[in-house]
Amino acid sequence: MAISEAVNQRAFARAPRRGAATLLLEDERWLAAALLLPTVILLGLFIAYPFVEGVLLSVSNARVGIPGHFVGLANFTALLSDSIFRVAVWNTFVYTAVATVLKLALGLWLALLLNRHFRGKAFTRAFILLPFIIPTVLSTFAWKWMFDPTFSVINWTLFQFGLIHGRINWLGNPDLALISVIIVNVWRGVPFFAISLLAGLQTINPELQEAAAIDGAKPWQRFWHVTWPLLLPVTMVVMLFSIIQTFADFQLVYVLTGGGPANATQLFATYAYQVGVGTGLLSEGAAISLAMFPFLLIIVVVQLLYIRRVEVH
Amino acid sequence: MIEGAKWRRWVYFYIPLGAFIVWLLFPFYWMLVTSVRPDRELYRPWMAPNYAPFWTAHPTLVHVVDLLTETLFARWMLNTLFIAIVSTIISLFCGLLAGYALARLKFPFGGSLGTGIFITYLVPQTLLFIPLADIIRNFQLGDTPWALVLTYPTFLIPFCTWLLMGYFKAIPRELEECARIDGATRWKAMLYIIFPIAVPGILSAGIFAFTLSWNEFIYALVFLSSAEQKTVAVGVTSELVRGDVFYWGQLMAGALLGSIPVAFIYSFFVEYYVAGLTGSVKG
Amino acid sequence: MARIHRRKFLKLSGAGAVAAKTGGMAAILATGRAPAYAQGATVHWLRWNDFVPSSDALLRNQIVAQCAKDLGITLSIEMINGNDIQARTTAAIQSGSGPDVICALNNWPQLYADSLVDVSDIADKIGKDQGGFYEESTVVANNGKKWLGVPWCIVGTENSYRKSWFEAVGYNKFPETWDEYRDAGKKLKAKGQPIGQALGHSFGDPPTFWYPFLWSFGGMEVEKDGKKVVLDSKATVESVKYAVAFWKDCCDEGGLAWDDSSNNRAFLAGTISSTLNGASIYLLSKREPDKYQTEKGTPLYLDILHGVLPKGSAGQFSYQLPHTNMLMGYSKQQDAAKKFLAWIHSKPVYQEWFDSQAGYSVGATTVWEQDPIWSKDPVMAPFRTVGRGAHFPGYTGPADRNAAEVLSKYIIIDMYAKAVQGTAAEDAVKWATGEVQKIHA
Repeated sequence: MAISEAVNQRAFARAPRRGAATLLLEDERWLAAALLLPTVILLGLFIAYPFVEGVLLSVSNARVGIPGHFVGLANFTALLSDSIFRVAVWNTFVYTAVATVLKLALGLWLALLLNRHFRGKAFTRAFILLPFIIPTVLSTFAWKWMFDPTFSVINWTLFQFGLIHGRINWLGNPDLALISVIIVNVWRGVPFFAISLLAGLQTINPELQEAAAIDGAKPWQRFWHVTWPLLLPVTMVVMLFSIIQTFADFQLVYVLTGGGPANATQLFATYAYQVGVGTGLLSEGAAISLAMFPFLLIIVVVQLLYIRRVEVH
Repeated sequence: MIEGAKWRRWVYFYIPLGAFIVWLLFPFYWMLVTSVRPDRELYRPWMAPNYAPFWTAHPTLVHVVDLLTETLFARWMLNTLFIAIVSTIISLFCGLLAGYALARLKFPFGGSLGTGIFITYLVPQTLLFIPLADIIRNFQLGDTPWALVLTYPTFLIPFCTWLLMGYFKAIPRELEECARIDGATRWKAMLYIIFPIAVPGILSAGIFAFTLSWNEFIYALVFLSSAEQKTVAVGVTSELVRGDVFYWGQLMAGALLGSIPVAFIYSFFVEYYVAGLTGSVKG
Repeated sequence: MARIHRRKFLKLSGAGAVAAKTGGMAAILATGRAPAYAQGATVHWLRWNDFVPSSDALLRNQIVAQCAKDLGITLSIEMINGNDIQARTTAAIQSGSGPDVICALNNWPQLYADSLVDVSDIADKIGKDQGGFYEESTVVANNGKKWLGVPWCIVGTENSYRKSWFEAVGYNKFPETWDEYRDAGKKLKAKGQPIGQALGHSFGDPPTFWYPFLWSFGGMEVEKDGKKVVLDSKATVESVKYAVAFWKDCCDEGGLAWDDSSNNRAFLAGTISSTLNGASIYLLSKREPDKYQTEKGTPLYLDILHGVLPKGSAGQFSYQLPHTNMLMGYSKQQDAAKKFLAWIHSKPVYQEWFDSQAGYSVGATTVWEQDPIWSKDPVMAPFRTVGRGAHFPGYTGPADRNAAEVLSKYIIIDMYAKAVQGTAAEDAVKWATGEVQKIHA
């Protein structure tokens, strides 16, 4: 519906009677249609079709090069008894939860630090973005080298400080492997949180802070009662997107551990890739990918409701 | 500002900030050292007495030279730059308009359309790239930068839209209403009153979009084939990881050269939006 | 879905090239490229980027020029990281456009069987001319009815080991049985020179070690028919128990985190005494003797020898990494690609590439065992015959889709990894058996 309206709209906008177009744009609905048109076209073209195709794949028994036929929910029921899938689900939740909490806490802290005046401020602000700028594959190679059991500079440093006596097998120990992967994810994500929250902090009027300070509020109270509520909308959006990205993370694990050792770092996306691309079972791979959907949807709906509630206030 | 004694500034500011900087930038220092380290020093186990992780006695530029002369690195940089800039512009344009509409205008199905745009972001790339390859082929875009320029916005627009919605909502409605009372049209009010105020939001959405297109990997891997078309991430990994041997020096030099210039560019933006902003929003 | 059906139809009707000529604009759009005759013959060949850079240089320069001269075909070679080839292949097949020839690793030809052109005529001729293909190359590239691809080469894997270190613990030649190897490893590990073996998720080194390990104890996934899962056997449990002890006694425990490149690095750094690998460690250290040195400051390559995997109670086994050139069904350049395949696999042309490999890859046919290259460097000599008696995962069953799934889910590897991390051997085997059964169901 938005599309057909928008198409009309365009015809009007191009017409010589500019007065009419302007008038039409005064109407909220027409303006909205015009503004949403490019987005709807692009997303419709490049997401809707592939997505439908993906859904169709997941309810078929297609393999690479073989279309297959409809099998209903067989791929999904098969997942229920798949032990690797269960491990991947659990890992993904732990990975997402821990990484997001850390990214938010550290990102907010860093944003507050960067919101101060100090020498080299612009430079620092730009350069702490580096972990976020660098292509994930390449930074993950560097981390791999730093975690390497034979060459780990981290081990060397800890050893020099006398904190450890033997080596830490960062990626070899199942628990540590997941922690290591989380460390790299947090490292990548904190700058983004920090800079987005910093931009949010910038839009907050300093006079509000000053007024609160004059009223005798302590720094912590000022943060909690003045800054944080104003920051919340941006925070929620940033978190929402970060959760989705973390939940569907692929590159990092693919390069760092390949899901090993013994699936200790296997995530949804890496397992979907392993099954769909590695073995050519496209339908099962698609089913695993789509199985993320309900989980994500629940998280997202809860957050969206929360955002609405916050905005009402 | 931090009040009180000097030590408070250290404890609450310098030390934490310093720790953050060390943690965030150490891997880059590590890349730097690795890229100037001669190969013969590279393979030293950490327990070895002559393990010198933080410096090298014989720095060499041979890896950097190799990277620039033996591979098409400069070309990859240009490709990546072009793709990232164009897809960022497209995404910002779409996101700005859509974000404003969803945040400010009342129209039927507004809420569900917003959610719909959002939902597209939930579709995992690992699911999308195979059907997308089909579309790319139908449009005959394979092995051209346009394959990426047009597909990257699919994951950039949802974010830009939502982030900008957040910023728009934080801008008081009265501003717009004042302008409209003064006779401005909706369109003009949006263009000249709201958008300028949202500049920090636009910049951070832009930084985000640019960065994600800068370091995207799987689409670039699948949709491009000739060596001259590749992006930095794909080019560097396909040339410098050979079988079971990594060319660490070149790889790390590529990682550094492929990210530090961007940080320099950002440093201008960051400066601009910080300076241009303070106090411009009256709450 | 409709789209796929149409493509399938196109394929059935005699492949894209015909369709493009007869189907008009719609077919051209559907296949995404101008018809063959409008373009001149360009063959796009996708392969992994070789460990040996000079081989890639040879292909890109001399071979491309020679191909244009001999065949009038423009050859465009693309090289990417071996890990990423499958993503490209999958997208290419699903969208019906991409490289004309893809050099596959392992038994990928079986995975993509329905999307490949029958190249039996070429493969049969090459096989006949060059003394026949090795069994492993045959099982991955032939589905019992036809050749799905032309076997290109086998990347040999053997134990690279430190001669002087093994001598110091009393082994003047490489241990022949697991018990001997374990004994040597125990002594070496006590001296801080453990054996290094990858046990993580990586497509090369972990499978090429742990599959033959399983076989040499008599364990196997399925019976010969490829249906009945027999992994849960006494032999398998015994092998897992042995592996746990072997790991603890002899191995660098960092191996759980290793990928295919880690053992190379560790070996070059002098922290491990032996590892199953391609010849890349030796060749690299030989290429740059002043960079890679022993703890005494002598060139490292002089202290490296190669030895075959030790024997177990069921015999001596190996799994080498086979490569196969697949001609893709969607290709619009079938004729040119066939001409190209027959040409590049022919003895004189292949010879140039084979020489540049210096033994890193062996030929897929037996004739290359007679090549003078093997007398050039005695250290490389053990690789001459690696093609003989090598098996592919799934053994003794067929190297089919199911075998590939077990392999790419790392089930056998993880069975050992779980046990090494403390799961009881029986439980690890049960878990793996359950997973293998599900795949074969």
